[in-house]
Amino acid sequence: MGVVENSRKVLVSGFSVVLCPDFKLQAVVRRVNWREDPVALVDDTLRQSIVLCRNEEAVRKGVEVGMRTVQALARCPDLRVERPSSAGEMAASRALLEEVLSWAPGVEETEPGILTLDLSTQPESDWLESARRIRAQLYRLGLDVAIGLGETPSLARIAALTALSRGRSLWHLHPDSRLELLDSLPLTVAETGAELRDRLRLWGIKSLGAFARFDREAVATRLGAEGVELWLRLTGRLRRPLRLAKLEKLFEEHHDFEYEVREREPLLFILNRFVAQLAMRVGRTGQAVIAVHLLLSFSDGACYARRLPLPEPVLDEEVLFHLVSGHLENLEMKAPVEAVRLRFEPSDSLASQRQLFGAGLRNRHQFEDTMKRLRGLVGSERVGAPRRKDTHQPGVFELVPLPAEIEPGREPVGPPVTGLVLRCYPSARRATVMMRKGCPVRVDSSRASGVVVNVSGPWNASGDWWHQGRQWERAEWDVELLNQGLFRLVVSGGEWAVEGYYE
Amino acid sequence: MCKTGKDKGVVPSVEGEVELAKIVALQAIRQQMGSQITSGAELLQGQQTKEPRWPSGLEHWDEWLGGGLARGQLTEVISPAISSGSGLILAALLGRARQERRYVMLLDVGRGFSLESVPEQDLDSLLWVGCASAEEAIEALDVASRDENFHLFLIDLRDCDPGDWRSVRANQWYRVLGQLRQRESIGVIFARHPVTTVAKQRMELVGRLPFECLERERSSVLPELRFRRDSLVPTEREGRRRRVESLQVG
Repeated sequence: MGVVENSRKVLVSGFSVVLCPDFKLQAVVRRVNWREDPVALVDDTLRQSIVLCRNEEAVRKGVEVGMRTVQALARCPDLRVERPSSAGEMAASRALLEEVLSWAPGVEETEPGILTLDLSTQPESDWLESARRIRAQLYRLGLDVAIGLGETPSLARIAALTALSRGRSLWHLHPDSRLELLDSLPLTVAETGAELRDRLRLWGIKSLGAFARFDREAVATRLGAEGVELWLRLTGRLRRPLRLAKLEKLFEEHHDFEYEVREREPLLFILNRFVAQLAMRVGRTGQAVIAVHLLLSFSDGACYARRLPLPEPVLDEEVLFHLVSGHLENLEMKAPVEAVRLRFEPSDSLASQRQLFGAGLRNRHQFEDTMKRLRGLVGSERVGAPRRKDTHQPGVFELVPLPAEIEPGREPVGPPVTGLVLRCYPSARRATVMMRKGCPVRVDSSRASGVVVNVSGPWNASGDWWHQGRQWERAEWDVELLNQGLFRLVVSGGEWAVEGYYE
Repeated sequence: MCKTGKDKGVVPSVEGEVELAKIVALQAIRQQMGSQITSGAELLQGQQTKEPRWPSGLEHWDEWLGGGLARGQLTEVISPAISSGSGLILAALLGRARQERRYVMLLDVGRGFSLESVPEQDLDSLLWVGCASAEEAIEALDVASRDENFHLFLIDLRDCDPGDWRSVRANQWYRVLGQLRQRESIGVIFARHPVTTVAKQRMELVGRLPFECLERERSSVLPELRFRRDSLVPTEREGRRRRVESLQVG
């Protein structure tokens, strides 16, 4: 058994099985006190209605499984007859799953009404207390469960069945006293086949502990694969990974309006409640939300579905509601809303956690919001992090998204930075340039005109001559105009222009 | 001097004379007590000198600014003439912010920012916003200054017509200032003329850089930049002195 000891709490591998007996029945009648009143679930689809399951009170009054409903009512006139409800079962299984997720994130929906939890992330000392808490919470929701704890999923299931058969809420099959505890358990608890059970009984084996004390080879020789499987289960050697439950259904809420909604306020009211509930559920799984799916159904039959991505996983209800409400504000609703559905897309929150000493965006949501508003204000092609393109052509650059993290500065390589900073005119101003001895001596343009007192150049550049129609060629001159400043002149294709000035 | 509502002529009221007498008496006491008395305005001024600063890395400039750019404030860098070196300051601030791994937003009115003049590494933390007018730039600044991710906002109004930024309402500047204060971020305006009285610090670049600077290392050119503190906004003490003088004259 793997043991991880931190400063105070000890983490050991262990499992729990939460067993909801007569799940179909409990799912239907969980809002009434089903323990006190006789209740039976009947199957009406057959020619003659029969009892599918019943509670303890109904058993006491003579109601049996498979009995005709009429007969059951004759035996127990105050029997409450219910029909299976798939919606009720779905709601009950969701409630079960939602509650147990507050205990441990690794949950398997083994069967309807049976959940297996991996407790290796929880300190062993907290197991019993957590189990009692979960059971009490489920009881408040109208679900009566038995909880078993063991070192493997199989042993935890045996513990849960033991708790159920003994009328207890909790049973811990502790590894240190496993054989002694198994000694007190009948063979029926292990859910073996009737044939194996009868054979063991003939051999005089009455308890699971007695069977677990056999030698493995002897069991294999005499009882075959089924016997070995039972032996492995009882000795804690049958381990299997859990098929973790798909939690997507937990992260979705839906509401059908009884009336047509034309205003945004009632819609936002419902969505606010959904956001709070869904954020809590996602939080219980140790994850965060990376995107929100919004679906609106309109009375004219139209639907509006949109995935609203988030820049990084978040659980902040305010941020999530802001995302949804902000989107709704800009949505034109041509017809009244009939139904709304909200789904949260979970993601690993650790994946985007910032480095301790990193320097990056402090608040990515705020940053994305700012970007959205800036793009709306000045245009998306005018906002971004400028980067040079792989060309020597001056003034060619591209805008990329701002990096979320700023890497530590590199040591400068190459020669030190020289010269002044060029500032370009929005469009190069055509100029008339007077030349003498191959150098500009006077410039006239709408931006700058005057006598050239200093000049350097030409600095020739060309490129893309290997691409048809994209070739460029230019010569730059740096000039100082008398009482004007320092400017850059460019001559390209025989045309002179003032490209900008140096500051 | 006060004027009564009914009397059209200038009649010195009794209250006005008493007020003037009080001020003169206070002035006399202050002269007697010397530096032992500190007025509220002086206390405020002293407090302002202790406010947080962000050293720009340009030693002589920081010294001039009293330790660096004031956090949560707007600073104006006025360069009346072309080639006076304001571009060097802008590039130096970009480099400093990159060195400290802080995000910078450049609101570039006229979209004349040239990448080739800035070391590639210094662009890592820069977000460029190309604005068509000063009004658009202030609206963008209003949006962006609410964002806690940005430490430095550079507003380049050098290619703006004065009439363009004069159309910006004062309350827009005050709103931006309030947001900068809240997040202790810094706003630096580059312009040809003073832009707003909301600016805490204002300095004017004097003269033009010579042609040789195009070949020299920037680190050697930067210390040669010459500034003049703009006197358009009188200090609190000067303002008070002027008011007293005007009262005495009256």
